Amino acid sequence: MGVVKLDAYVLIVKGSDRVKFVDGLSTNKIEGSCTTVFTTKNAKIIDMVDVIDMGNFLALVGYNPYKSKLIEHISSRVLGQDISITDVSTNNNVYLSTDECKVGSEVTVTSTFRGLLLIAPKSYEIEVNMTRDQFNDYRVQNLIPHQGHEISEKVNPLICGLGHLVHQSKGCYIGQEILVRMRSRGRINKKLVRKENPVDSATTVGSTHSLKIERV
Amino acid sequence: MDCNTCDTAPTILINAPEVVEVSLTITEKAKEMLEGAFGDDRSHGLLVGVLSGGCSGYMYDLQIVESTEQDCQELDIDGFRVLVPNASSHLLDGIEIDYVDRMMGGGFKINNPNASSSCGCGESFS
Repeated sequence: MGVVKLDAYVLIVKGSDRVKFVDGLSTNKIEGSCTTVFTTKNAKIIDMVDVIDMGNFLALVGYNPYKSKLIEHISSRVLGQDISITDVSTNNNVYLSTDECKVGSEVTVTSTFRGLLLIAPKSYEIEVNMTRDQFNDYRVQNLIPHQGHEISEKVNPLICGLGHLVHQSKGCYIGQEILVRMRSRGRINKKLVRKENPVDSATTVGSTHSLKIERV
Repeated sequence: MDCNTCDTAPTILINAPEVVEVSLTITEKAKEMLEGAFGDDRSHGLLVGVLSGGCSGYMYDLQIVESTEQDCQELDIDGFRVLVPNASSHLLDGIEIDYVDRMMGGGFKINNPNASSSCGCGESFS
């Protein structure tokens, strides 16, 4: 397929408590680079975030329109921990590539379930060769949810196709009680599906098929 | 990624709440248990803190310590040295430290008027 530019923010989390801090506030087990979801105590999504372990700091890559809520959520929970957060969104562009691609060493590349995430300094040009419609078709084809479509503050990760980012056995995090209860009692009453067009209440409309969160 | 500019990038203002002068109480049962833990050695203190995380957002952190690097308020409650980190003072003002004596879920318990809800296991609150 190709490369698409994402409307993304990049936050840098430094400090000796950085891994424990992010782990304690999100659904996936943070042991290195991974994708995780920050949720409210009602298990509603604040944002899905790609965590990139850069050695002496973590980079959090999320969806720009959800940035202020995420910052509000995490900054009030720093308390006395050794944590500092900086926003380097204006210095970088974030792309998603569906295929292997050659880029310079100044570009950070990490593999995610959506494809390859590329974080490039603003000065480094990466050719965008996939339209938004093509990206939507790629997501529909591969059942990949995206912020602003399937992923929103109205849903929890289990119903919008992000169940694989909710770790089964990690320690406590905000929203865990509800997510664990939903799983253990089999009360996941909706799921992300791909259907042939036309589709009522589609969350992403593709050329032949669409995505929808449907009651099961 | 442009990390050379990380140091010059805007630091996000950590939402640091105002430091509150903490007042707290310890129930008779909790005092008995603390007597047992401390004995006559009062050089150590009870650190009552809050960590982020838990099912509801914040978790209590009780430790017996000699000293701590955290910036703390030091209180004398009926002869017990109690340390409360300033960073979490707004969450701990007015608490009652109790001790619940039961087979399951027993131990020290914090009754917190600042908590709007707590999780099932009682270890975290929001």
